[in-house]
Amino acid sequence: MTSGLHWQVVTEALLLGLATGPVCLATCGPVVAPWMLAQPRGVARQLCQLGLFLAARLAGYLLFAVAAWLAGEAVPQAWQTRGWPTALVDLLLAAAMLAWALGWPRSGSAQPQESKLVQIGAPQPGRPAAALVLGFCTGINFCPPFLAAGVRAAAWNHLGAALVFFLTFFLGTVVWFVPMAALGLVRRSAALVAVARITALLMVLWYAGMGVVLLAGEGFRG
Amino acid sequence: MCGVGRSILFTLPMALWTLLMFTPGLLKPGRVEHAAAALTAAFTVGLFFCMIRTGQTYRWRRIFFVALGWLFPVGFIAALIGLRGSMSIPLERMVSGDTPFCFMVTPMLIIPAALTRTVVFPGSILPTPSNPHSIAAMIGLWLAMTLVLGKAWCAYGCFFGGIEEGFAAMAKRPRLRKLDERLRLIPWAVLLAVVLLSAAIFEPVYCMWLCPFKAVTEFPAVRDLQTAIQFGVFVLLFAGLVVVLPFLTKKRTQCGFFCPFGAFQSLFNKINIFEIRFDHNKCTDCGVCRASCPTMAITAESVGQGQALMNCMKCGACVDSCRKGAAVWHIKGTAVGLRPERARLLFLYGAWAMATMFGGSVIANSLATMIHFVLPR
Repeated sequence: MTSGLHWQVVTEALLLGLATGPVCLATCGPVVAPWMLAQPRGVARQLCQLGLFLAARLAGYLLFAVAAWLAGEAVPQAWQTRGWPTALVDLLLAAAMLAWALGWPRSGSAQPQESKLVQIGAPQPGRPAAALVLGFCTGINFCPPFLAAGVRAAAWNHLGAALVFFLTFFLGTVVWFVPMAALGLVRRSAALVAVARITALLMVLWYAGMGVVLLAGEGFRG
Repeated sequence: MCGVGRSILFTLPMALWTLLMFTPGLLKPGRVEHAAAALTAAFTVGLFFCMIRTGQTYRWRRIFFVALGWLFPVGFIAALIGLRGSMSIPLERMVSGDTPFCFMVTPMLIIPAALTRTVVFPGSILPTPSNPHSIAAMIGLWLAMTLVLGKAWCAYGCFFGGIEEGFAAMAKRPRLRKLDERLRLIPWAVLLAVVLLSAAIFEPVYCMWLCPFKAVTEFPAVRDLQTAIQFGVFVLLFAGLVVVLPFLTKKRTQCGFFCPFGAFQSLFNKINIFEIRFDHNKCTDCGVCRASCPTMAITAESVGQGQALMNCMKCGACVDSCRKGAAVWHIKGTAVGLRPERARLLFLYGAWAMATMFGGSVIANSLATMIHFVLPR
């Protein structure tokens, strides 16, 4: 990869990430917002959790970049034209959110004693698994900017270029996620945490429903 | 109880307002339209007089509200059948902006509009010949009513709420009495979910998937698996939340435990000057107010704090049911219990004026449709 090509990759990916970041934020919002609202109050703590989430999301991006480079444009095109990959990701996301909403893992979640809803599930020692799992699942959850980046990355004939493209694209989108840490300023109450968890359960229904409908559609299509 | 003379005097401004509101109907050609407008005007003014005369709010308001809720689908469905021969709207008509804007969509517009300057509703911003209920007009109307009513929109303006209030009124006593107070949190979760999902997929998610009232108004034409599931969800939610549960609980279950727009309206109670307060000196903690509230907006804690929760829709059920006079109408910034009847009167003027303006035309239109149906031209 020449130096000129390198800068072309970086510039193009960064601009794509910055320009389409709001769409990425909106796509990840149904997962990120309830999850962050159920965390304890504090911007620094939220930034830490968000950092883990975004790191896992980056891992998802890079995995897709490798797949896109290995299989050429077939992967992003398959994602666009076939329903089952999206359906699988939706079902995975639903399972991850269900596990989190029902109390696993307990790390970092506010545990007000007033609400039984947030006490569902056995208490477990703190671990950042929720942030990592949800981040990875949203990393491979395909929004239009992500697919555009996938198509572009697949066009480079060099794995390094594809990875740099996705990494830079990711950094461009991250700018839009940082303000989400402001949710740490919202005063926490048992009601708010319960609402966040009920919202997560509704999202479970949504993603599971979408996954099943997409799979059923694939089944009809054959 | 107010004397007849004073009641007439207090009703006079509302009668003049009603006359003003129904003048277009009275000027329309056709005796049926004249009769429907006159009947509706007499109906609304008569109910207002009864509210003033008896000092009771809830039962008179309920008559109007249930009439509005049950008559709205009549006129709406008749208009749809006349327009396109079916209650279902094909995708191509939706895309062309022929869907009338519903106030339920309002909270779902906010994030997409802020992030991408996009309105996620397949309607037209300005009125068109095929769709007079444009986005701009309906949002303007909603804003005006919200500033005047706050959450009271749900008890005086929402034509959907009247349907379930009618079913709730049918049962003599509740068969399901023990309801978990945390059910009140669900509308907030539904609100958060539909707002976030609408931004994610650029569709008004509530309207496409969750609105129980699609079953009695307008729904996407069933053409494939997805639209079949959507229609099934609408019917199930309507049957469960609007018909069966209100009958079993005597509560407005859809409004209290599901409706995201109701949660959204609750936020505007913070800036609305009218509220319900509880006078500690008179309260005996009998719990009648809590039992009477159709949306569980009163808890023992909130009574202890002297006010209803922010999801109070000011229907007046608690005030009317309190025999000790501890539940009172109140204007923020004034002393609690100081001339509550005046606070009530001021609130009712605003609420009833809006109800007459918005709901009155709906009732008159539906009445005219029914008369035309019974007595064909």
